[in-house]
Amino acid sequence: MVDTRRQAVVLLATLALLLALPTLATAMSMPYLVTLGSQVVIYAIAAASLDLLIGYAGLPSFGHAGFFGLGAYVVGIFAFHAADQSRFLGLVPGSTQAWIVWPAAIGVCAIASLAIGALSLRTAGVSFIMITLAFAQMLYFLFVSLKVYGGTDGMGFDSRNTLAGIDPGSDTQFYYVCVAALVLVVVVFRRLVRSRFGMVLEGLRQNERRMAAVGIASYRVRLVAFAIAGAGAGFAGALDANLLRYVSPDALHWTMSGDLLVMVVLGGVGSLYGAVYGAIAFVGLQSVLSQWTEHWMIVLGPILVAVVLVARRGLWGVLGGAGDGRQG
Amino acid sequence: MSALLEARGLIKRFGGLLASAQFSLDVAEGEVHALIGPNGAGKTTAIGQLAGEIRPDAGSIRFAGQEIARLPVQRRVRLGLTRSFQVTSILPRFTTLENVMTVLLVRSGQVFRFFAAVRRETALREEAAAMLARVGLEGRADVMAEDLAHGEQRLLELAMALATGARLLLLDEPMAGLGPVESQAMTRTLLGLRGGLTMLLVEHDMEAVFALADRVSVLVSGQVIASGDPAAIRADPVVRAAYLGEEA
Repeated sequence: MVDTRRQAVVLLATLALLLALPTLATAMSMPYLVTLGSQVVIYAIAAASLDLLIGYAGLPSFGHAGFFGLGAYVVGIFAFHAADQSRFLGLVPGSTQAWIVWPAAIGVCAIASLAIGALSLRTAGVSFIMITLAFAQMLYFLFVSLKVYGGTDGMGFDSRNTLAGIDPGSDTQFYYVCVAALVLVVVVFRRLVRSRFGMVLEGLRQNERRMAAVGIASYRVRLVAFAIAGAGAGFAGALDANLLRYVSPDALHWTMSGDLLVMVVLGGVGSLYGAVYGAIAFVGLQSVLSQWTEHWMIVLGPILVAVVLVARRGLWGVLGGAGDGRQG
Repeated sequence: MSALLEARGLIKRFGGLLASAQFSLDVAEGEVHALIGPNGAGKTTAIGQLAGEIRPDAGSIRFAGQEIARLPVQRRVRLGLTRSFQVTSILPRFTTLENVMTVLLVRSGQVFRFFAAVRRETALREEAAAMLARVGLEGRADVMAEDLAHGEQRLLELAMALATGARLLLLDEPMAGLGPVESQAMTRTLLGLRGGLTMLLVEHDMEAVFALADRVSVLVSGQVIASGDPAAIRADPVVRAAYLGEEA
């Protein structure tokens, strides 16, 4: 059984730690930790949205970076057109307002994932993995070929999107915005998986044939899940572009999809919370090990194998107790 | 009695094998109709075509006056034609109650609700509990479906089929894998459902067939060779030669 009290304690401790991070960073004179923390939180949002697909919808997408990168590019393209006063496709003016740009990024990614999902969801299993990978790579090469937006080099912009009451120049304030976004996304997704929609989605994952026999149109349900997950990744991508003030095709590359998958597996599939711990572990290991060797993946690989073999429910399974987190 | 389900001249070929050869069958409203026949006679293929999982090469199926041979499974379920499976097919990581709730959700058509906690919907829970009571599983509502005994899983499967709002249940070997005691419990449950519900039953257990069925049809080599009340079927010399004789 799931130990809900233990889970609540672990989650609250994690949240307290996240909230205290800027203070700790100042106290330890390691201000770069705030930026690193923002990166962790942003990846956690993207990984949580991928976990919604893998852990609940049973859809192992290998193209999630496509939506992450697309969300980032929406921010970049708005910033580009705002800077030179031009219009995207001669129609849409640029903007640096978060309340315009971020919903736009989420909306564009939701629409893109509806289109990509509509085709991908006609397949299953390995074909689904390959077709999602192929679509993400198509987006990657699309942006590589768009010289206007920097091609392979990507493009930088001067300032973060403005949000009422937030100083766009402050890394600490932006960090808190990211933490708030993470809490919002996790809470919304947790509610989602416990709703009617979530129950049907989970039922489909457990036994599709049974669900078909009682009359469900599985395609539509999964398509909606795919679009919600794509929108979540797009939101994370928009925040990532803001963090770095830079977008490049790297955010769309298949290795990014792989990194997100690693975070989900490290953290524990099918809990949504696991994404947070997976992102902490991934970014933490990357920053520690890459000081030591650029081939840091050589170390990450065995750790991942060990987690998959020993702690099958990932870091969240270890921290939060043996339960699968679904009923708790 | 009018026919609720009418299959006419169904043909289904798998490579060189003719699994349904002019399969025709009438199931009257309110009756329990048993479809029996030796192994390989095409019973599962026939059920698959009636349920919509297998598309017939030729022939027609009318359900409640509507032609359904080309309709997908979901449309047939919504019309009131639901099947159960020979191999137990449930949602193993949901509780017994949640299994039935999931079916009720699908039936309600209100699937795209994203925010309210489904497990706190009292009306839905109560309706699901009522379904469980009809099959005698009311005491097992909060047990994980995978932890139920095999006989209980078969009853859960029946409750899920009922929860679709079925008018006609296609029961593919409901007694499969059940011990004698469980078999009797299933027979009692099915007897309790008689009247309100029409059932087409594929079954090997002759004791159960003759206890339950109002009418029996005998399938041999993809074709119904005889239909009638159980006593007549038992006495029919052609049936005895083709099928029952081997068991007697």
